[in-house]
Amino acid sequence: MVLKIFFPQCCNRAESGLLVGRWISGHDSAVVLAVIHYPFIPAQVKQYIQQMQAQSRVDLTVLGSWSLPKDGQEGMESFLRDLSTIFPQERWLQIRRQFGKTGFSCEVLSRDQICGKNPGEKAEKKKKKSEEDGGDAEREDEEKVIFVHYEQRKVMLSQLHPVEAQESGNGSEPNSELRQVFGTVARSQPLFVLDRYDDGPLRSTHWQSEGREASIVVELLKRASVPLGLLLGRMLSVWTWICSARILSVFPLRFLFSKLSTCVQLSYRTERLQTLGAPQAAPQAAAHMDFMRKANVLVSVLLDVSLGVLLMSWLYRDQNIAMLASNMVPAADRVAQKLEELLQWLMGAPAGLKMNRALDQVLGRFFLYHIHLWISYIHLMAPFIQGILWYGGLSACLGLTFALSLLSDMVALFTFHIYCFYVYGARLYCLKIYGLSSLWRLFRGKKWNVLRQRVDSCSYDLDQLFIGTLLFTILLFLLPTTALYYLVFTLLRLVVVLFQGVLHLSVDFINSFPLFAMALRICRPYRLAEGVKFRVLCEEPGTALHLLMEINPLKCSSVVQTYRTPTYSCYPRDSWVALVKKLFIGELIYPWRHKTTKSD
Amino acid sequence: MGPDGAPSQSVPWRKVLWEWQPFPDNYVDQRFLEELRRNEGIRQYRYWAVVKEAGFVGQQLSCVAIFITLWLYMEQGLLAPETLFWTSLTCALLGYGLYQALTSQTESCSDHRTHLADSQSAALFLSFTFGFSPVLKTLTESVSTDTVYAMSALMLLAHLVSFPYAHPSPPGSLSLNAALFASVCLASRLPGALHTFAMLTCALLVFALWPCLLQRIRANAPGQFTGVCVGVCVGGVGGLGSQSLGGAVLLSLALVSVTLICPLLLVRLQRHKDNIHGPWDEAEIREDLSRFLH
Amino acid sequence: MEDEAFSNISGKAISLDCQTHSSFCREFTVSSPKMSIGKVMVYTCSVWLLAYAVFFFTENTAVLSSAILITLTGMMLHIHFVKVDHESLLVIGSLGIQVSSSYASGREVTTFIEMSRIKDIVINEAVYLNQIIYYLCVLLKEPSEPNVVSSVVPLFQSSKPRLNCLAKVYESCQEILSKCQ
Repeated sequence: MVLKIFFPQCCNRAESGLLVGRWISGHDSAVVLAVIHYPFIPAQVKQYIQQMQAQSRVDLTVLGSWSLPKDGQEGMESFLRDLSTIFPQERWLQIRRQFGKTGFSCEVLSRDQICGKNPGEKAEKKKKKSEEDGGDAEREDEEKVIFVHYEQRKVMLSQLHPVEAQESGNGSEPNSELRQVFGTVARSQPLFVLDRYDDGPLRSTHWQSEGREASIVVELLKRASVPLGLLLGRMLSVWTWICSARILSVFPLRFLFSKLSTCVQLSYRTERLQTLGAPQAAPQAAAHMDFMRKANVLVSVLLDVSLGVLLMSWLYRDQNIAMLASNMVPAADRVAQKLEELLQWLMGAPAGLKMNRALDQVLGRFFLYHIHLWISYIHLMAPFIQGILWYGGLSACLGLTFALSLLSDMVALFTFHIYCFYVYGARLYCLKIYGLSSLWRLFRGKKWNVLRQRVDSCSYDLDQLFIGTLLFTILLFLLPTTALYYLVFTLLRLVVVLFQGVLHLSVDFINSFPLFAMALRICRPYRLAEGVKFRVLCEEPGTALHLLMEINPLKCSSVVQTYRTPTYSCYPRDSWVALVKKLFIGELIYPWRHKTTKSD
Repeated sequence: MGPDGAPSQSVPWRKVLWEWQPFPDNYVDQRFLEELRRNEGIRQYRYWAVVKEAGFVGQQLSCVAIFITLWLYMEQGLLAPETLFWTSLTCALLGYGLYQALTSQTESCSDHRTHLADSQSAALFLSFTFGFSPVLKTLTESVSTDTVYAMSALMLLAHLVSFPYAHPSPPGSLSLNAALFASVCLASRLPGALHTFAMLTCALLVFALWPCLLQRIRANAPGQFTGVCVGVCVGGVGGLGSQSLGGAVLLSLALVSVTLICPLLLVRLQRHKDNIHGPWDEAEIREDLSRFLH
Repeated sequence: MEDEAFSNISGKAISLDCQTHSSFCREFTVSSPKMSIGKVMVYTCSVWLLAYAVFFFTENTAVLSSAILITLTGMMLHIHFVKVDHESLLVIGSLGIQVSSSYASGREVTTFIEMSRIKDIVINEAVYLNQIIYYLCVLLKEPSEPNVVSSVVPLFQSSKPRLNCLAKVYESCQEILSKCQ
């Protein structure tokens, strides 16, 4: 059997003393947490360990002794060996460093060896000799030892992924050895409070924080954040009360709200901020996820607001709004003019296509009239545009996402005519496609059997056949005209949808990107651990195997995947093939999706 | 006898593969071809009977020729649309009377339509055709004439190929639709809306109603059927001849080959027929395979 | 410490370096063949010739500079993400197995599998295009169901050594695993 000893790197050069740590049951390994230096009073050590055990809920014990011989301390070893009778244990580790060697050597004394002390001692000495000779003869029956060196601070602060939900303090230990090691080190934080320079009865070596200068600032911030949080919470509750008022859930208003992206963004933001105020989850793992989620939301909101303020500061400087407003009406005019030219081109013989002249004229005039209507609507609106922009710009102080959502809504309103054209064209085209497909079945003497969901043959009457063929011929020859109008307006519509989609995507990105987790991953890679990796440290014949345990940071992609804030999905739900199919048969496509919050 | 020779033992050989037998795999015995049957259910054709049946194909060919002739006349303005319309109406009424007379001779209707339903259908045809004829007139305006001709020719060919010559009484959907499509295409090239209307009425008469009447004649008055067929063929050749001589020659050649030469070939080649049947017939998959296609 | 020459499934020479740190800790390193300079030259030349052909017709110098940029970034991406220099397998008895592969640029990807999750190490066979190849893989189990193989981690995926090399690694691995049961 191989004994694994997890040894902190900070204790490498500690003075001789007692090893405090924990045996991990079922895995035959020990975690060394600290070294208590001598001189000490054993009763005090026992009391201290009991106290720590109560605080950290880790069953701490004295694992054994540690000796780093210095000049003039020759009699130390026998003393340390005697200690094993004072702290009775199942097994007693004796770890020592020797001069001129980097590696440690370790001896394990079991209980009977301790009791029958004198013969045991001789045996040990014999073994030691054989080790020093470098002979391998007796090694087979000897218990083998691996030293795994770890950096205490990093292991204490890191969180192993995937975070297990059931990992909690209620006694059920995780199955994995590494998880137990990580959990032990993380929970024995109270042990590390004992300062090296304290003049207490005990002195120990372990990881220590460098200083606490910054903590005053942190404390002040904490104090200040309490009333601020209270105020924000009160405002939030008032806002949610307004939102839940019954008058807002009447049918047309609710429908309108679900389609306006500003309103959707508002409700989303409210929901996120409400989670910030939710009470903290109790178990450790859940607490970590909860903390990360809150931090992510907070950081993304702060970033959003600061970007929004930046945008606002640009908008309200040097008459930028007036400039935008004055540019908007000519731009709309130009768009309308281009559209008119396009329609005129379509009403001729576009690209030499064989269009039906009569239908072409009818459709073209219809759309021209529509453009005329829209232009007069824009000109009616022209005096108010600057005001709208001025007040709309104020929304940027709530965040960049609000400004973007508002922009998306405004684009939707200003391109309403394109949407109308598209709907007319699509409806007409859809009607034709459906008519043609069913008439084509009639043409072949088949019909669609609804009950069996298949095409059956059918004998039609003479008059049915005659009228069906007449209509089929008419629809077939009129199809290119409608299809061309449909194609052109669908392309226009797709441009608008693409623009809106980019806006939505960027809003969604700001909303959901786990900025805090990403920053943590970049600045403190050990905080989010995917696992560990080992490096073989030194190989000297005669010493045990030394491994260095390093923390393997989580991959960036899995950081995003794990800590992504759930949001209403804005990504195209149906595939590209489905989209093309929809376009082909003339179904309407929309930039917005069915907004269902992704369940976490 | 199998090539490897049969071992002599008492176990009889069985023509099965699923059980082990003391014979080589390629062994067969004399009973192997016992169940072979040749030319099962063969029909002996007589030449003139086949020619008579082929007459139907010939007259359908001539009907198409007559329709094309009428269209040619209309396009050149040699035939007034009113004349055509009234003529076809008269023909339709006469044919309807004849149809009724032939029906009452034999069976008193089983799935018979009333006069009211017939007149309703006729009214529907006429009103729809009349209403749509201006639309149809402008339908193929921008399409080039060659395309229209090619499409019509293709559709008329499809009509001839898919025509149900055995039971033409309810005309087959595809054949009728193809013919109507072709006639709409052709009619839309005519100079006026009234021309279109008359042409479509005529097409209805030729492609939809005439086969019904002819079927009735074939069933009830087989003596007159041959005469009618010959008459239609002569009419078709003559009509086409008045417009283009080459067309008439081609048509008559086609008629001769369809009605006289093809039956001769059929009767001759019947002698060489050698169809074998037996228990080794290949398996026929009767399942609907179309579901594997998508 | 020994260094032997083997070949991978396409016949290129690879080397297996077997390092014994202790009686229960061994490290196997399989070094893939180095990138051949001829291949690099061929790719570079073809991209540049193509760029020159485009330049000949368009007479736009941006084409040439973009070709140089494409070649450089392509090479960098290749050595950073595609080209694996060596793969190593560190077997530590009773602790676990560590699989790492280092790319030509020095990037190293490491995964450590704990002993409690390892069911066994086996040599498996797989159909690879038109041939059957052998590969070494670690069978994983869930601690809750110790008899079920939950997933499989293939080893030496990019160097793909042949069976004789795999058998050597397999034997030493099994030796350590059986010693530490």
